[in-house]
Amino acid sequence: MELSEYVQKGFQMLADPGSFDSNTFTLLLRAAFQSLLDAQADEAVLDHPDLKHIDPVVLKHRHAAAATYILEAGKQRADRSTLSTYLEDCKFDSERIELFWTEYQNNRNSLEILLGSIGRSLPHITDVSWRLEYQIKTNQLDKMYRPAYLVTLNVENTDSRSHPEISFSCNMEQLQDLVGKLKDASKSLERATQL
Amino acid sequence: MLLDLSEEHKEHLAFLPKVDSAVVAEFGRIAVEFLRRGSNPKIYEGAARKLSVSSDTVQHGVEGLIYLLTESSKLMISELDFQDSVFILGFPEELNKLLLQLYLDNRKEIRTILSELAPDLPSYHSLEWRLDVQLASRSLRQQIKPSVTIKLHLNQNGDHNTQVLQTDPATLLHLVQQLEQALEEMKTNHCRRVVRNIK
Repeated sequence: MELSEYVQKGFQMLADPGSFDSNTFTLLLRAAFQSLLDAQADEAVLDHPDLKHIDPVVLKHRHAAAATYILEAGKQRADRSTLSTYLEDCKFDSERIELFWTEYQNNRNSLEILLGSIGRSLPHITDVSWRLEYQIKTNQLDKMYRPAYLVTLNVENTDSRSHPEISFSCNMEQLQDLVGKLKDASKSLERATQL
Repeated sequence: MLLDLSEEHKEHLAFLPKVDSAVVAEFGRIAVEFLRRGSNPKIYEGAARKLSVSSDTVQHGVEGLIYLLTESSKLMISELDFQDSVFILGFPEELNKLLLQLYLDNRKEIRTILSELAPDLPSYHSLEWRLDVQLASRSLRQQIKPSVTIKLHLNQNGDHNTQVLQTDPATLLHLVQQLEQALEEMKTNHCRRVVRNIK
């Protein structure tokens, strides 16, 4: 795990029972998780009465260090032994290691979901809507009398958070072709999961 | 339903009985070709020289024929109605028969060409798919995230357009279910009744 010196120093300071008692330590850890996982979180996360006695600069340093470490651990999918080893190297006592591990376990799922959702991917289909119509005539052609489908795919772009739509028309044969191919894909998926 | 031919149109068509049937048949062939590919003025000049008339006359004759064929095809008029409409022009019987045959032979194709002029949405051409599993990303290692990558081929106004999209297994099943419902809808009583009764 590669952490900058600034972060490492900050993190190591958390181990010192003199400057941080267990209660303060837990509060700070929880604040760090909250900053990362709660979309509405802001600086107020550190406004706890029990943290007021600490110099704000120091507090921010420790908070940032904890948050950075948590992200690294989450990214690497650290297991208990990896975590314990690193925390021991930072001179954390076993009580603090246990506290850290508990908080980490509590928040692990949300952390991994958050990290997994970051990144670029192709536009993602989220939904489909369709319309069936019976075409009767156009200004160029009378007596058409044929059914047609209008299919709209709702698509999400991870980058721009935009929601473009892709619409296209098709007749019955074409829709059957489309559905057939999608069914092939889902059968393939089923088979792959059984391997 | 009879065709409503304007005076100007009748005048243009009046050229046809003045040439023999082989020429009219040739004009008919040119007319359909122009519908397929667009007009080519040089052809008018060549024909005009051979027939010793002005190229304008030839052009009007061919255009009159084109309009006759497209209007008839658009309205999908019956044989009888076509014959009656053309009868008004006072042409010889042989010419009438030729025009009718021209209409019947080319009607389907002309309707296809006319249908391409309708307001055009992108239409489905085909679809390719691929199964992927994401193993890691910059922000998270050791993942197993299955996904389906889809390449959708669409046509619009003759242009081929492709979109590359992705979806997850759950959404894929949802898509299949929704679109199968869409297909089933055509078989319901309601739709069958509409199709039967609007003709």
